[in-house]
Amino acid sequence: MAKTYDYLFKLLLIGDSGVGKTSILFRFSEDAFNISFISTIGIDFKIRTIDLDGKKVKLQIWDTAGQERFRTITTAYYRGSMGIMLVYDVTNEKSFENIKNWIRNIEENASADVEKMILGNKCDLEAKRQVSKERGEQLAIEYQIKFIETSAKDSLNVESAFYTLARDIKAKMEKKQEASNPAGARSGAHQIRANEQQRKPTSWLSRCSLL
Amino acid sequence: MSEVENTDVSVANEQNDYVEDGKNKLVVKCKFCGSKILDKKSAKYIELEKDLPLMQQDNNRKEGEIQNEPITEFYHVENMYTFENIGFTHTVENCKYLSCADCDAGPVGFYDMDTKQSYVAISRIEHA
Repeated sequence: MAKTYDYLFKLLLIGDSGVGKTSILFRFSEDAFNISFISTIGIDFKIRTIDLDGKKVKLQIWDTAGQERFRTITTAYYRGSMGIMLVYDVTNEKSFENIKNWIRNIEENASADVEKMILGNKCDLEAKRQVSKERGEQLAIEYQIKFIETSAKDSLNVESAFYTLARDIKAKMEKKQEASNPAGARSGAHQIRANEQQRKPTSWLSRCSLL
Repeated sequence: MSEVENTDVSVANEQNDYVEDGKNKLVVKCKFCGSKILDKKSAKYIELEKDLPLMQQDNNRKEGEIQNEPITEFYHVENMYTFENIGFTHTVENCKYLSCADCDAGPVGFYDMDTKQSYVAISRIEHA
């Protein structure tokens, strides 16, 4: 199969139960499909294709609903993930305090260079708010992680959060590629094209073997 | 499950104006929200018989009952990363159902856990 994209990033949604991780991945809208077959089974992961500075990027986004206890999310779960969305609920103080525990869990189990971002979800519920935006920002500064408040319900900032995380992963990867191959750094674009050409015979062969 | 691929596809090609060289001639989109599911020429036309749960189940059905319909025409997607935008449900009897990544409508097809192959039901999508 010809590779039709430039990058593939595996992303995880992490955070306490009830903070809205599933709503970030799954719309659960009040309209036609609320009673649908799909909503009763639930979504495991989604594949999304985005354009980042002219590059085609595939995001595979995984929910961790039902496995929220720190100890149950271990190395196997984090394997291969390049980005993690740490989600808390702005109306739930405890979920915010637990972000620190989640970060520790990631440090112990995930790859050291995994890109992280903190999301303060449910920011539409202003009357019930327990965690101010400033405290979210302060925590993010402390850990040097990017932060944004989101509302999955109103689709506020969710998409831009994924773009931000994906852009940071891409930048990190390109930096690494340049470091490991300084000679090719100047003509990076040409190199990628050359790689694609090399892949083409493989695609032809794989199609052939299916006949 | 009966699979008819490649050899008999030429017959189907003459009947379907959306298949060309055994592949989807047009972009595959969600019927309901227009979200792009597959790029053109990225999946193979295939005939096989599979029962898929209805996208909208009757509210008055018996509890636990699932209403199915047989589907015979699919687009076969070998690599899941070929999809532009798609959702995969949790596993049910060795299969994951495919749903629209934007409006969660589905099943628009299924993914076989054994073979790692995906199949998009042509009657449940729109060509554009």
